[in-house]
Amino acid sequence: MSLMKREEWYDLTRTTNWTPKYVTEDELFPEEMSGGRGIPLEKWENYDEPYKVTYPEYVETQREKDAGIFSVKAALSRSKFMDNVDPGWEATMQLHYGAVATAEYAASIAETRMARFAKAPGNRNMATFGMLDENRHGQHQLFFPHTYTERSRQWDWAWKANHTNEWAAVAGKNFFDDIMLTRDAVATSIMLTFSFETGFTNMQFLGLASDAAETGDHTFASLISSIQTDESRHAQQGGPSLKILVENGKKEEAQKMVDLSIWKAWRLFSVLTGPIMDYYTPISHRKQSFKEFMEEWIIAQFERQLLDIGLDLPWYWDEFIADIADRHHGMHLGVWYWRATAWWNPAAGVGKAERAWLEEKYPGWNDTYGKSWDVITNNLLDGKENLVSPETLPVICHTGFIPLVTPPHTKRAEGQLVDYQLEYEGRLYHFNSVVDKWVFETDPERYKGIMTAVDHFLAGHINPPDLAGALAWMGLSPGEIGKDAHDFAWIEEFRK
Amino acid sequence: MALFPLSSLFEDDFVIQLVPVDTEDKMDDVAQKCAYHSVNRRVFPVEGKVMRVKRHSNGEVFPRNMKVQDANLLPTETIEVFYNND
Repeated sequence: MSLMKREEWYDLTRTTNWTPKYVTEDELFPEEMSGGRGIPLEKWENYDEPYKVTYPEYVETQREKDAGIFSVKAALSRSKFMDNVDPGWEATMQLHYGAVATAEYAASIAETRMARFAKAPGNRNMATFGMLDENRHGQHQLFFPHTYTERSRQWDWAWKANHTNEWAAVAGKNFFDDIMLTRDAVATSIMLTFSFETGFTNMQFLGLASDAAETGDHTFASLISSIQTDESRHAQQGGPSLKILVENGKKEEAQKMVDLSIWKAWRLFSVLTGPIMDYYTPISHRKQSFKEFMEEWIIAQFERQLLDIGLDLPWYWDEFIADIADRHHGMHLGVWYWRATAWWNPAAGVGKAERAWLEEKYPGWNDTYGKSWDVITNNLLDGKENLVSPETLPVICHTGFIPLVTPPHTKRAEGQLVDYQLEYEGRLYHFNSVVDKWVFETDPERYKGIMTAVDHFLAGHINPPDLAGALAWMGLSPGEIGKDAHDFAWIEEFRK
Repeated sequence: MALFPLSSLFEDDFVIQLVPVDTEDKMDDVAQKCAYHSVNRRVFPVEGKVMRVKRHSNGEVFPRNMKVQDANLLPTETIEVFYNND
């Protein structure tokens, strides 16, 4: 039996709307779940996804992809790669898996919502495949690290992280809850697939795959580049949604959704991906700096796409461009100093060669962040380990869920703050930028109940109210508590 | 006499930290408590200068002997500790 060419029947298979007879359109597509925003059903039928695939094609392609990654995994399973790799790289993978694995599964829930409640049939069709993709990503990114669980309990955090109050996991959950688990189908397609997936995940999955290949970690490189091929397809769902909103008089609303989600995604990446690329990845394996990757994957990408769709660049674009050269340095310093609260072992990444590289990529680094690290290095040389660990909490931003940081030894401009505070209904909120504060102000009723670890501490939820209590609150036990990836061995070259 | 949480931004440090003080503390005491979490950890000590405290949001400098309870600060409000000649 010969089959028809796909082009001859494809459009028929995705013309799946009908006029409901037994229920109202609103009952079939409740606004809260669908987010039609008053745009008629017929208009949503103009939704045109750029990448199209049929179910038989999907099954065949995905099967080939899985055969590929599993064969690489099997071929390399006897190698002693993990025994010999730099501990900074092992920490990178533990961080990646913990932050990402169960979040992928959560994304399949978001895709499922679109598969049922999007008014656009093309969106429902693509989201069905997206749901299967994210299930794949969740399963693979639990199965692959499981191999290593006998090495260290930190590897178990691939599954455990998002079930704890550990601060980085909470930052991730805050982000994903906001953009994809509590939004209507249209908002989800924009915030998750357009803002987060078309730009930022390319950083983590392709940029990192490039560093992984350099490091010799071909199992991980092949896994995450394979994952990203799925992403390239299902990330296309947001663009057509935006076009329909813009065409139907909803440009302002569309712009706000994009602006909010790009900024929140950026904040998460500054604390997770930034330190990985510029500090944890062994220096000889770094292909580009974090700033260079961001400029290539994020800035250039969004500048093109947003203007194509008929939107503007986010109002904070200049601040964003300045931030990508700086924010992650403070994030890294903070994560390292508070490393006990991490489930991975951060590499300091500030040996002599590393500092020269940082100076080259970020001129002025040694006169700012370098001076903070000078104090730390001296303390370690003098055997004062107690001074390179904290005795209090950092104050945490109520939007980004990351510490409030500022470049050290740097004079601030007139009127420039580090903490943009806001009093709302008797509570004081802290924000690390005007943009973070703006996010809150777009919907204070939505965000006002947020509690950071500091709020929990002050509310008496962390007991005892000390480091041991904080680690217990975060679910970190001995064997999981983060330490310097190299046990401070890097200070020896500074010893005179 | 009551515990009062402040957010401390210490001169030349990179992060704002939670510092519990007492409502009866004078600003000199507040500065010392903030310094404990920054000086010799990420900031080298500075000799021959006095540590002063100011409100972060508007730069209002508090007198050295002003008590926390009289400074009209909100719980967790951010203050800056900076070095001055007096």
